[in-house]
This record gives sequence, C-alpha cells and structure tokens, in this order.
Amino acid sequence: MVFRHFMSKRISGLLILLSILLAAGCSDGPDTNGMKIYRHSLKGAPSSLDPVQAATVYANHVVVNVYDTLYSYKYLARPYQIKPNLAMGLPEISVDGLTYTIHIKKGVEFTDDPAFPNGKGREVSAADFVYSLKRHFDPKTRAQGSWLWAGRIKGMAEWKKAGSDYDKEVEGLKALDRYTIQIILNKPFPQLVHTLAQGYAAIVPKEAVEHYGREFSVRPVGSGPFRLQRFDSVGVALVRNPKFRQEPIDLAYEGYDETIHGQYGIHEIEGKIPPLVDRLEIHFVKESLSRWNSFTKGNEIQYAEIPKELLDDVLSEKKPDLIMKPEYAQRFFMIGGIENAFVFSTFNMRDAEIGYNPDPQREKMNRALRCAIRYAFDWKERNRTFYSDIGFIFPGIIPPVVPEYDPDLSSASVEHNPEKGQKLLQEAGWTADNLPTLDYGAVADVQYRQFFEQYRGWLAKIGYPKKKVVYNSFASFGDYNKAIKQAKIKIISMAWALDYPDAENTLQLFYGPNGAPGSNSTNFNDPEFNRLYELTSVMQPSPERTRLYRKMNQIVIDSCAIISGLSRTRIFMWHKDVVSFPNEDIVGGFHLKYVDVKEAQK
Amino acid sequence: MEMLQYVLRKCITGIPLIIGVTLISFLLMVYFGPDKTYELLGKNATEEQIQEIRHQLGYDKPFVSRYLEYMKELVTFDFGYSDSTGERVSSILKRTVPISLALITPGFVLGNLLGIALALVAAYHRGRWLDKFIMGGSVVGMSVSFLIVIITFQVLLSSNDGLGWFPVRGWNVYNFWDYLHYVTVPTLATVFVALGYNTRFYRAVIVEEMGRDHVRTAKAFGTPPGELLFKHILKNAMIPIITRIMFSIPLVVISGSLLLESYFGIPGVGLVTYDAITSGDQPILKAVVGITAVLFVVVLILNDIFYKLVDPRVSLK
Repeated sequence: MVFRHFMSKRISGLLILLSILLAAGCSDGPDTNGMKIYRHSLKGAPSSLDPVQAATVYANHVVVNVYDTLYSYKYLARPYQIKPNLAMGLPEISVDGLTYTIHIKKGVEFTDDPAFPNGKGREVSAADFVYSLKRHFDPKTRAQGSWLWAGRIKGMAEWKKAGSDYDKEVEGLKALDRYTIQIILNKPFPQLVHTLAQGYAAIVPKEAVEHYGREFSVRPVGSGPFRLQRFDSVGVALVRNPKFRQEPIDLAYEGYDETIHGQYGIHEIEGKIPPLVDRLEIHFVKESLSRWNSFTKGNEIQYAEIPKELLDDVLSEKKPDLIMKPEYAQRFFMIGGIENAFVFSTFNMRDAEIGYNPDPQREKMNRALRCAIRYAFDWKERNRTFYSDIGFIFPGIIPPVVPEYDPDLSSASVEHNPEKGQKLLQEAGWTADNLPTLDYGAVADVQYRQFFEQYRGWLAKIGYPKKKVVYNSFASFGDYNKAIKQAKIKIISMAWALDYPDAENTLQLFYGPNGAPGSNSTNFNDPEFNRLYELTSVMQPSPERTRLYRKMNQIVIDSCAIISGLSRTRIFMWHKDVVSFPNEDIVGGFHLKYVDVKEAQK
Repeated sequence: MEMLQYVLRKCITGIPLIIGVTLISFLLMVYFGPDKTYELLGKNATEEQIQEIRHQLGYDKPFVSRYLEYMKELVTFDFGYSDSTGERVSSILKRTVPISLALITPGFVLGNLLGIALALVAAYHRGRWLDKFIMGGSVVGMSVSFLIVIITFQVLLSSNDGLGWFPVRGWNVYNFWDYLHYVTVPTLATVFVALGYNTRFYRAVIVEEMGRDHVRTAKAFGTPPGELLFKHILKNAMIPIITRIMFSIPLVVISGSLLLESYFGIPGVGLVTYDAITSGDQPILKAVVGITAVLFVVVLILNDIFYKLVDPRVSLK
C-alpha cells in the first residue's frame, strides 16, 4: 500500500517532468514532405558565417552557398578553372594590369529578411561589393581575410588609417555605376580573380550588417542559392532561395568529361537550374565512427570522408587505384584524390641555435644540422604509419595539385638517409654535447604526440640524444599559433591548405617580409628568394613564371629550412541516390548547389 | 517568516562564495586559458592586427577592471556576445540549455531512481547473492568508460551493424515520439554508467540506516519489508540522497554532456561549453561559470529547505 502510494506519486511527478522537458527540447518542425533533401557532412564546424571571418573550409561551405561571390570555380573542370558567378564575365584588365573593371548581373536580389524595409530583399549592386570588401579593413569586424588584399588595393591602407569610414571613398575600390566595379591595384596582382572567388569576397548587404550587428555572423543574409534556416554547433540547415537566378547548368562549360563524371550520373543534371535540392543540411561530425555509423545507416548523412581507421575494411585495394569492396560499391560512390594541401615541418630560422646566425661558422653548422635532421626524417614511414601509405610524397613547397609542380625534381630532400645525416653532423663538428635542445611544437593531441615520438626515434638514429628532443605541447591551436607567431618554437609541425590553385600561395610562406607574426612561420629570409618572389608576384601565369617558381622552390630546399612534404589522399563516399562530384579542396562547398538527390522526402 | 529570513541570510552569505568561485575561475581563464587572439587572426597577420584584436577582446585592460565588468555582467545576466560565433551568449544558452536538460534529465532521474531501488534491494539482501550480483554489476558500470558505453550502445541499437532501431545522430524533436526516438539510446548509456556509482553510494547510505535502533525496533514489531524499506529506512536516509542529487543539478542544468552531445549530434550546452574552454571563448565561459556558481548557492538553500521538509528536527536558524 505504502509502496503503491509512493510509486503513483512519483510516476505522476515523472510524467509532469517529461512534459516540461518535451516542451523545453522541442521546436516547430519544418514541413519536409515532398522536399529534396541532401545531408552533407564535414569533420569540423564553422564558428562564424560572416564572410569576413570565413577562414575555414567549413565556414566556406556555408558562406559560398548563402552569399554570392563575383567569381567561382567550374563545377567539374580540373585543374580548377575560374568562371563568372555574380560577375557578367571575366574582368576587363588594363594593359598595365592595374585596373580591373567588373560588370555584375542585373536583377539579382538578396533574400527577403527583416533587415530590409518591409522585409523585401533588394537588388544587389556594385556598391554592395565595395562595402563588403571594405569591411575587411574595418578593425571592428574582426576580419580574417584582409591579408588577401592588404597593400594591393590603392588607397585602402589610407582608408583604414583614416578610421574606416564607409562614407569615404577608396581610390582603388569604386562602384562606377550600379552594376560596374572598378578595382585599382598598387601593383599587378595576377591572383586577384582567385581571391574574388573566396568566401571572404562574398557580397553582404549593409542593411543586414547594421540590423543584426555582432549577430550578423550567425544570421547571414545573401543572394546565394540557399538561405539559412538553422545554425548550431552540430550543423546548418539551408533551404532553397526562391529568388536565386535561373541559370541552367551547361555541363560542357562546367568541364564535364564522360570518362570521369559519367559513372556518377552527372549527365542527369544537364539543363537543370541550381540549386537542385530544396534543403541542404550540413552536419558537423568530428567523431569519425559516429560519422561512419550515420553514413551507413541509410537515412541519415549521405556523404562522408572514410575514417582512416576503416580504410582497410572499406577498400579492397589501395594501390595503384582505390577500389571499394563490392558490398560498399553496391551502395555507395567513392572518389579519392590528393588533397589541395600538404603537411610539412619547418625550422624556425629566426632561432640562432638552428637558423640564421651572425657567426658564419655557426651559420654553416646550423645548416648542416638542419640538413642532417631532414635526412633523418622518414617520409615513407610517416606515410605508412599515419596516412595509410596512400599519401603523396614530394620534395619542396610546390605541391602536386598546382600547375607549377615539377614531377622531375630530385627527391633527394625527401629521402631517408640517417647515415648521411650522421656524417653531416660529424663533419660540421656537432657532438652529443654541443647539439642544441630541439623543442617540437604541437597541439596537445595523441596523434601529434605520436608524430613527435616517431620523429624523436628517427633523430636518435643520427645520434641526437633523446633528452635533447622535447615535446612542447599547447592546449589549443590558438596557443600553438601564438607561440609560432612569436617565433618561440624551434621545430614547427604544420599543414597548409591552398586558398587558390597557384603556387604563389605556398611560396608566400617563405617570403622574408611575411615573417612572424605573418604567414612565414619559418622566418625564412633569403635575398634571392625575396627578389624572385617580388618579381613573380606581378607576373601572369607563364612558362617563365613557372621556371622562377621552381627556382624559388630549389632555394628553399637547398637551405634545408623545411622538411617537406606530403599531400594526403582523401577519400569521400556518398550514397547512390545522390548525384554529385564532391569537392572539399578549393574554397569549400562551391559544388553543393549542383548536388541532386533522386528521390524527394516521403 | 523563518524560511524567508533564512533564504535572505543564505543569499547574502552566498555572495562571497560566488565572488570566490568567479574570481578564481576568471583568474585561470585570463592567465592560463587559451589566448583567443591567435584564433581570430588571418593567415598573414601583422602586429597591428594582433593589437586590434587584443583590444577588442579587452585583453589590454587591467585584470581588476575586467573582473568588475564580469561582475556587472553576472548581476545583469548580460554576458555580451560569444567571441567565436558572435551570437549573444544569452541566446546560445536559451537555445542549448533546454536541449541538454531534455537530453540528460531522463537518464539523471532514472539513474537515481533505479539506483535507489537497486540499493534498497541490495541492502535488504546484504551479503547474499542478489547483493553481490547488484554490486558486481555496479562495478562493471563504473569501470567501463562512458565513451565506450556510448559507442557500444550506438553500434548495438542505432547503427546498421546492430539493430538500427534508433537514429545514430540528430535531434529533430517535434513531438513526444521524436523525443523518445532520439533520447532513448543516450538515456540508456547514461543510466548504464550512472547506475554503478549511484547504487553503490545509496546502498552504503541505506546499509548504515538499516543498522539503526529504530529499524531494528520496527523489524521486531513485524513491519512488512515494503513499509520498513520505504517508511523507516529510505525516509531517514533521504538527507545524503538529497544532498547527492541536489548538488548534481547545477552540472546537469548548465554543463550538459559533451560526449553524448558530440557522439549523437545533439546541439546542447555541453558542446558549446567544451568549445568555449578549448578555444578560450571567455564570454561563454564567464556565463557558464557564473551561472553554475549562482545555481550552487540556490541549491545550497534548497538543500537546507528540503532537509527541513524530510526531517522536521532540522532547524533553519
């Protein structure tokens, strides 16, 4: 009796609690019946959706789908080819290469939003682009993309110095009329068009920036193919922008090749008007096993990168070609390729113990030390241990994905030769006693620790005392980045993802004036390299520029300032009912408006 | 009146506690936490940009003025905007805390109720096989890592390699059935782990209570086992039970569960807090720490009031 009374009171209490919880955790659901829904996944999450902060491939996946950029990349063409997006055509460039005139499409409108009068989105104009680019030079926006245009646009530095007043004109960035943009450069910048395809260059309406203030970063208002419905720590939901311009897909123009794309059913989208799905969900899933379980479930995410720990379960062959096991090939499509990035280690050349030294004798010893360490590094073993032996090892800093890559370059700098390393040390006068203590910097993470232990093991083979190779771990990437920017670490383990397909993007990592806190974390400062960089930075793509790029690459290799490099092979899979040719390399997510699904939600 | 006086007194004495907790945690955030500046920088940053960001983050202000600003934020419950996303901290908490509550509460309630029930059974059969069986199970629950439990339950119940009955990821909760659909597996994982700790703790409390004179007397009177357990033992063992449950509440409310949320793709406050800790997002951290401290003070007060309710001998003076 007592027990029954006790339980009945508690059960009713529980029911009340359950109702409260339900009310708290629920929201009105979108009606998705009859909708075409595509569920994409990424292994990281963006923090901000403001284009001026679109620093990651994850942020770009959303930004380039909510906003318009003047230019974009062709959906299927590889190597990547620029195409007009909001622009009418490629820019008209003056003979001296300094003045760019760009005409934009008429009648393109921002999505309807409370930020606009009466909630009706207005037409996108040239002035919106000017405003959007100026925001990068306004300290209040916490912009992360200004480095793309800093020092290049005439009058922009002065505009910033004068207080970033949007009412004041910038000499080199003007809206000549409602649909014409003029950019005047301080010196030629052949990569300018590539920068205008980045999420950073997306076009935002001033009304929305002012209406939402700081929260504009989570309430994007653009004129892109989709508009945002939901954004939180686990994903975004975008829905079709009904006002998006009607531009049928021309597959031939987009670079369609039956031998490559035919197998994925891409021909089915010919003539259709993007975006091809009504709802695009991008799920941020850091945990690889959870991502895989969700992907193979069938009714959850439809696209995922294969976790490297499952590669052997999914693939029947990894070399020379990637082949899926039949049970997976029946259900999924797969694509694999070398990433548009590379991993490498650099020496901090600003550190007199290992880098540049005013004493010529010590300078010579330091170079021998760096070269010896490079000989100790075993890229093949690194590839086997951590990259499933399918990474691509190459010498220098021009990775295989850019057109300037030299396949005939000597691979001596990536060969493991501890004997030679040991000999170099002895010849230069290094002994176990006088060798400097090397601190190896990395974010506190199991894999980085494993990298370090492997590295230390290799160094032991050239006679480097283990106690003189120490692990310097940092709690967060921010802290690690801080130490790099302050040039406090001797050996820096890094990865670099190219912003655009031009070797200039990696060569600038070694340009002297870009030294810390700039992007040149190596603090490499070679007069000849700097001269060539300045020379090539104004050159249009040409065989001569490629020759000079390769010469610069050789200078970096000869100096033994880096241990480089390896481009990882990334393998992606997607469901057979999805028509897609995925790409995560350049910009991030520009292909999503072309993704189609065969069946609508029932 | 006595109650009101007590609450007011406790509120006032809670202020030093809040100041102490917030001061220490703010000190740790400022001097030992991640430096957000270098996460907000572009790829080719200049010294000028570093200084601009430091200024915007308020890093260039003296510690005392930053702490006073924090206190003002805590009093007004306005913690500004997240340094990572730019969203208002209050909006983030408003959106994520209810989801975490909805996610964790069933496991929390069931974990405690079942823990008490099993502890009663184990204590009643103390030393016999049933007691040993329950305690053995508790040790298993305590020994297996929560992460392993989550992955195992996800594979067994959600994935296509297992039964596939529940979703692997997501939180598309629009009605009661959706809720059950999404909350079941996380709840089972939570209960599996919580049961071990709870049962062992509650059993120890109940065993101690069972040895008391009034229980022996009740037994001698021939009181039936149900009445003995619930009326004479459980009721008198409520003070440590209430203490344990009450002091878990602030963490349930504000901390969420990082592992559950990240593995099941649930947009709760646990993920937000974790990201704030690792990235040094101080506005969110200040809010979480400050609200947790305030909740602890509230819990302290409620705890004493509940003591009084379950045991009239307790005085609030």
